[in-house]
Amino acid sequence: MTSRFALDLARPSRRHWLGYILLAPAVILVALIIVYPLVVSLDLSFQKVGIARLDQPRKEFTLVNYKRLFSSAEFWYACWVTLKLVTVVTAVCFLIGLGTALLVNHKFKGKTVARLLVALPWAIPEVIAVVIFAWIFDSSFGLMNWILVTSGLSEKMISWFSQPVPAFSVVSVVLIWKGYPFVSIMTLAGLQSIPEDFYSAAKVDGANALQRLRYITLPVLMPVLGVTTVLVVLWVFRDFSIIKVLTDGGPVGATTTLSIMTYEQAFGFFNFGYASAVGMVTLVFCVLASLLMLGHRAKAMY
Amino acid sequence: MKRTLAQSIRLYLGVGVVCAILIFPIYWLFITALSTTLELKALPPTFWPDPPQWQTFAKVAEERPILLWLANSTIAAVGSVVLSMFVSVLAGYSLSRFHVRGGNSMGLFILTAKMLPATLLVIPLFSIFRSVGLIGSIWSLIIAHSTLIIPFTTWMLKGYFDTIPKELEQAAMVDGCSPLGAMVRVILPVSAPGLAATSLYAFVLSWADYAYARTFLTNSQNNWTANLGITTMRGEYVTDWNEIAAVSVFVAIPIVVIYLFLERYLVGGLTAGAEK
Amino acid sequence: MIQTLCRVVKAAGVAVVVSLAATSLASAGVLKLVSWQKDESGVGSWWSSLISEFEASHPGTTIEWTKVDRGQYVDQMTTLFAGGQPPHIVHLASFEYQSFAENGWLENLDPWLDAAGIDRAGWAGQDTCVWNGETACIMLLYFGFIMAYNEEILAAEGLDVPTNFDEFMAAVRATTKDLNGDGIVDQYGTGHETRGGPGQYLTEMLNYVLDAGAYWTDKQGNVTMDTPEMVEGLRRWKTVITEGLSPADSSAGEIRTLFADGKIALRLDGPWLYPIIIKGAAADKIIVTAPALSPPVGGSSNVLGMASEISDEEKQLVADFIALAMSPKFQRDYAVVAHLTPPSPTADVTGAEEGTPHFALLVETQQAAAAAGVDRIPTGLEVQYNAFGKMVKEEATRMIIEDLDPAEVVKTMQAKAEAIQAQ
Repeated sequence: MTSRFALDLARPSRRHWLGYILLAPAVILVALIIVYPLVVSLDLSFQKVGIARLDQPRKEFTLVNYKRLFSSAEFWYACWVTLKLVTVVTAVCFLIGLGTALLVNHKFKGKTVARLLVALPWAIPEVIAVVIFAWIFDSSFGLMNWILVTSGLSEKMISWFSQPVPAFSVVSVVLIWKGYPFVSIMTLAGLQSIPEDFYSAAKVDGANALQRLRYITLPVLMPVLGVTTVLVVLWVFRDFSIIKVLTDGGPVGATTTLSIMTYEQAFGFFNFGYASAVGMVTLVFCVLASLLMLGHRAKAMY
Repeated sequence: MKRTLAQSIRLYLGVGVVCAILIFPIYWLFITALSTTLELKALPPTFWPDPPQWQTFAKVAEERPILLWLANSTIAAVGSVVLSMFVSVLAGYSLSRFHVRGGNSMGLFILTAKMLPATLLVIPLFSIFRSVGLIGSIWSLIIAHSTLIIPFTTWMLKGYFDTIPKELEQAAMVDGCSPLGAMVRVILPVSAPGLAATSLYAFVLSWADYAYARTFLTNSQNNWTANLGITTMRGEYVTDWNEIAAVSVFVAIPIVVIYLFLERYLVGGLTAGAEK
Repeated sequence: MIQTLCRVVKAAGVAVVVSLAATSLASAGVLKLVSWQKDESGVGSWWSSLISEFEASHPGTTIEWTKVDRGQYVDQMTTLFAGGQPPHIVHLASFEYQSFAENGWLENLDPWLDAAGIDRAGWAGQDTCVWNGETACIMLLYFGFIMAYNEEILAAEGLDVPTNFDEFMAAVRATTKDLNGDGIVDQYGTGHETRGGPGQYLTEMLNYVLDAGAYWTDKQGNVTMDTPEMVEGLRRWKTVITEGLSPADSSAGEIRTLFADGKIALRLDGPWLYPIIIKGAAADKIIVTAPALSPPVGGSSNVLGMASEISDEEKQLVADFIALAMSPKFQRDYAVVAHLTPPSPTADVTGAEEGTPHFALLVETQQAAAAAGVDRIPTGLEVQYNAFGKMVKEEATRMIIEDLDPAEVVKTMQAKAEAIQAQ
């Protein structure tokens, strides 16, 4: 590689070429492994097709999948389940995440260890989190039933996985346990960017702890928390492994989110066309939800 | 501003109790692995098995190809992290420093890609991999995991590069570095914490995958990832929770160790992209 | 313009991916076998010895044996076949092979078995393996359910071994107890799988449905869910589950382990229960006898076949493997090692009762199931069995959760089953 090319790039007027070159590998890879599959998927959603094979001629264009989708009670129920799950999990994740972050943000001996421990569940793979909680919530010999019954909170053993509300609760617990550390980590990083003298000044002015939280901490954290909310919501929206392994969407659809429904239609009933339609609608919901939450700040995401 | 003794005690007590509750499930996993099957099938539960059944770990390591599963998970994770980091570092740097036309739409697209449900993408990928014979190969996972990782890493790295003053490479270029040279010799070294955090995050994303592994790799036990291996252990004839727990401990350890070493970078690196 | 772009992108994609694929081609001489019976005591050992013997007699060929969880088995196997990566040696339940055969994924075994000179006359349940006039598989097991009981638990309540449904219910209710007074049940009367795949769920229900004189379809393939007998069958199933007489939310594996460890009094199950019993903590207290519910669940169980989309060379190897499994030695081992009834009419099972004291009973219940024409495959719904099973499981679960009247539920099931059949 000699001079002319390199020289050209160094010249300010040619510098943007380097920008394109650096961007190229990502663009090509993304086109191949994300855009192209996405196009295939969009295409499949307009065909009545079982197990799709690319080496076979494409089926005729049809809207039947979307018609079936919007008139199916199962789909609207999955939307409702997804909405409930996203709301509950995100809200509790924020409570615990913010709480733990504020707690370990104090200066004390051993805070490094405390910080590590507080966010440790983040590092536990989801499937293993499921193993842990599936056993804690075992209906016959699980710890949770024992605690509830011996403490008198529940009169009888709860069948966690064959009743809709308990099953939904267990799924939420696992998602929350896996999700709050992320909020905690993000908040902690945000907190560290607040200069100490803000607080000192506020104290001099006589602000109490709650006022300091309300008028200093939260406003400074707002941008970080906004992005974090979107990421947590998207994560719950798209979760597959926790629900699949824990309840497989049951009982009778009580934990079937849109994501689970997509997979079940594709690899349980082998309707690739219909499944793609469900997935496409899920994607649209995800995009709309994030835009709605971020509003004009959407640009901050990239 | 010194805390009073009472305040200190309250603080330590609070921290202690909160940590204990949040970490308890991990403790319980260990206890389950160390219990006998009979202890597990009795209430009240055994909070500390006596004697602890350490041999369960040896037993599962001997009876199940755990090392192979861990190796497969590692290959998939390292492969997809290396591939993704390579393109993301270049792209993130480009988006941060050069006003390339279409850069904004690229950013917007990456934002959308982060919202892609894996359960949607798995359908076309299955058909594509089938037509080129990749089903059952570890390559299918490396590619599929990259679809999860690239949007995140590009976004995180762009944010991280934005926090590095432009003066740094301008100074290097004045000293005779080419723009590329400035990036490799100056920017990448100072970005080491950000690169570490991003790689860790990417590694965790790949290590946690279950959807792709279960769809592409079922047919051969020798290609299974650790997650896939664990989920097949709730058997038809016998289900031993202590053995499942023991295998889970094996699978969790590598990622926990990496986390313990890199946590301090994670806090800085993760938020660099979000703080604007 | 966009089309051209798409084509370019597609071609480039294929090129990259093909070059990746070239590095990952499976090494020659490996036959893949997927089964849910790996790692299981009894029948698992039979498979292992079969595989070792085959590998010893075919140097250069190895068998890669992979376990797939029973609960997800059909879905996963369908995914493998659809993905173009089927196992060479195909192991399926007899009530699920039909959809694979219908897709053309299973090789016609007739020419291969004829070439190997194997006589299938009198092979138990083999007519079940004939699909569209071709032999799609070989029956591996034809069986009848047995009942195992924990002598100590029954004796503690002063109960005799139940011989009909009413006695069975009385015994199950009496033995479901809280033993240490903490308000938590720690001993169950019976056990049924209620989570996991539809195949096992339907098998568990079928105990009560058959005893009530009902079945999913008749011999002509008409759905017969909306009958008074089926209402009674569902009512019984609902009673057992809602009264908490079986540990909630358990997989079949958990139930069998609990039973073997002495936490369950009575269990209706196939002959494969025995190898688990003898490894359990309560092994010396458990006795195997004839089921209280009749006719017993039974009929065809699981089958062995050959994938059609493999090379002729590989097909020959698979045919050799199947022939070996059908050989007198391994048919005898099926009784001696796996504690199961071999389908071969000429299998020498003398001495089987040494390792399996109740072997005569196994033969007896197998014949009882056969005589009653019992099978888990509903005529007329063979190809749609997976969808049908999922539907029945879902509706039965709904009946239990929402406390629905079985008389209404059978109407829903009838309508949905007919819709599935019409697809």
